[in-house]
Amino acid sequence: MLAEGLRVLIAAGVCWLNFVTIDVFFGLPKEGGVSGATAIAQEVEKGGGALHGGYMLGNIVSSPDASAGTLLASCAVYAAGIPGGLVMALLVYIGNRICYDPGYAGTTGCITATFIVYAFTQIGFLATDFIAGMVIAILTIQGLSHVHASRLLATLWRWRSA
Amino acid sequence: MIALAVVAVIAALEAVRVVAERNTMRKLPYLNVVSFAITGSLMLLLPHPLTILACAAYFVGSTLESNAIASTWSGGIRKHE
Repeated sequence: MLAEGLRVLIAAGVCWLNFVTIDVFFGLPKEGGVSGATAIAQEVEKGGGALHGGYMLGNIVSSPDASAGTLLASCAVYAAGIPGGLVMALLVYIGNRICYDPGYAGTTGCITATFIVYAFTQIGFLATDFIAGMVIAILTIQGLSHVHASRLLATLWRWRSA
Repeated sequence: MIALAVVAVIAALEAVRVVAERNTMRKLPYLNVVSFAITGSLMLLLPHPLTILACAAYFVGSTLESNAIASTWSGGIRKHE
């Protein structure tokens, strides 16, 4: 069994790939879902970032997306296993509708994360590693440098929309 | 427990960044990280199936607040062309 610090870092990488893949696939960097998300994107662009990456940052702030789905699924699997994760997917779906988001990124992210986290718990990881890992993963996108994160996301969006 | 320490340190760090950032709209992504960290620490501190409801309620609520702040600050509902 790996040391806890190493497991948290691996979990952070897995969570990052899960939510960025799903969010970009569902087109979060395409445009702001609500006027607030668009406004955040414009401020990020004014600060030197990329507009499409800014849209994704704004959309993550404005509604539970796949990153929230991944975190909440890790929490739910920790407390109640796969059934907990699926209940959480329903709660995320309701949360999306409350936040005026017509998309399915959050629900999809929650369901995929439920099975990913469960699979990793079978090979020696703990669900708590994924809770801490997801907080590190969202820190790299939303909390370190909006300029660099938005440029990276805009690059990923160019590949997706090419 | 390293997981709880990581989450707590990130929450404190990002709370400082929320205060330090001057631009209101650019505060919100930092605030979003704080919400993530608090949701995670809720579950780490209270491992119980009912905490699933608490986590969902807290996270969706905080997201809705950020959504409301951002949308109000940007001038309310605007029709897309």
